[in-house]
Amino acid sequence: MRSYSPALELSEDLAIGYSQPLARASEKIHLSAGTHFLLGRNGRGKTTLLRTIAESVRPLSGRIQTQGSLRFLPENLRFDDSLTSEDILNSLIPRDRRSAATDLGQRSELDLQKPYGRLSTGNRRKLHLLVAEFSIPADHPALLLLDEPFSGLDAHARAAFESHWHNESPAILRLVSCHPDYDAMPMASALIIRDQNLCHTTNDSQTWSELKFLLN
Amino acid sequence: MSPFHLTLRTIHRRKSWVICAFVVGILPFALPLLSAASEDPGLYKPALAQATWAMAWVSAITWGFFSAAQTGEKLSQSGLGEFFRAAGIRPARQLSATWLACLTFTAPLGLLAAIVSILGASPALANERSAWFVTNLQYALLFALVIAPLLAIAIASASRFGTVAGFLGSAGITLYGLYGVGYLKLLGSVEDHPFLSSIIGISPHYHLADPTARLRYKMGAIDPAGYPLLVAYFLGIALLLFAISRALFNTRTTA
Repeated sequence: MRSYSPALELSEDLAIGYSQPLARASEKIHLSAGTHFLLGRNGRGKTTLLRTIAESVRPLSGRIQTQGSLRFLPENLRFDDSLTSEDILNSLIPRDRRSAATDLGQRSELDLQKPYGRLSTGNRRKLHLLVAEFSIPADHPALLLLDEPFSGLDAHARAAFESHWHNESPAILRLVSCHPDYDAMPMASALIIRDQNLCHTTNDSQTWSELKFLLN
Repeated sequence: MSPFHLTLRTIHRRKSWVICAFVVGILPFALPLLSAASEDPGLYKPALAQATWAMAWVSAITWGFFSAAQTGEKLSQSGLGEFFRAAGIRPARQLSATWLACLTFTAPLGLLAAIVSILGASPALANERSAWFVTNLQYALLFALVIAPLLAIAIASASRFGTVAGFLGSAGITLYGLYGVGYLKLLGSVEDHPFLSSIIGISPHYHLADPTARLRYKMGAIDPAGYPLLVAYFLGIALLLFAISRALFNTRTTA
């Protein structure tokens, strides 16, 4: 097991976008292990920020520093239709983590023998989450960037994954872009993009019901 | 985590490789019966050798390049390239891993053609038989040397321009090298033109890797002194094509 913890640091002059800036950091942001939500209305730069952290897109200015193994789960991820979920897990997940991945897959009612092309949107999303969560060696500090991981997921599967997040090794930092569908969803740490500004808010008691009014 | 295993499993699951194995390994035994060999049994063996090598080239050019191109486009358009890149697998490694997986299925087509030709069409005379054996193995290696870099071109250009472009590009280069250069040479012998000569000079002479004429006329193995030069020539082309592939290869949806 590595001794260090995962971390993500965005410099105060960070600007993200393609030709024009979509958002700028209004302060230096430091995130450590735990779950952090990335909130913003459509087209405000949530995916762009995740892609910039994943080094798929260059920042327009500023710096991003990461510590730990990186995994980026793009929203448009798609595997070949002929592969079964089991094939995909066997190809991408270390041998010693496959049984844990299979267990969680079964708990969330994912049919591992079914070809990917015949899985529903929600089941594909479960498989993608399993790949992101378990492709990292056990107890290895990691930074997971999850783009809309809950869209299409039913409440049961979502609860299974949230429970996994709570019980999983503490050495994981998750940055989760999402549009929550229930007000009581706790969000103790959230990155918010509003007025082209990226800011970080933390409060143990804050929920989506309060944060959604901050978005514009 | 490996793009190699994922691509290998994908090609295996699609099962179209079974058709290619049939086309190269079984069909050539039936094809001569549709030719003049059905009336003259003496022609059967040369026809079988010609058919099996022709089928190996056709399979590699059609199925091999199409599978490679499809893999390249999916890698860049499905988010997998970004996923692997974020996980620390750099584009050069992604390209080499997917290329190796495609090669694992395509290169054996040449070996299979050589085996069919050796087992099914070897001449009766002992000295001719040993030459036949060597010739087929020589061409199995040349086949792999020609096909391998073109698979990388198919993957890389498809990752940037799509499956159709990747497939047509690599298939077009191969067909030009196999047949087009021959026509240009013919034209050059009729009309002596410096521009035409230089075009012929820089063209890939893939027809040198096609054994059908040599086998049909029992011309014997390639001269041992000349063979390393031929291998070096195709290795040189391969290096150039690999460099182009690396420059073209793209792992993300938007650059």
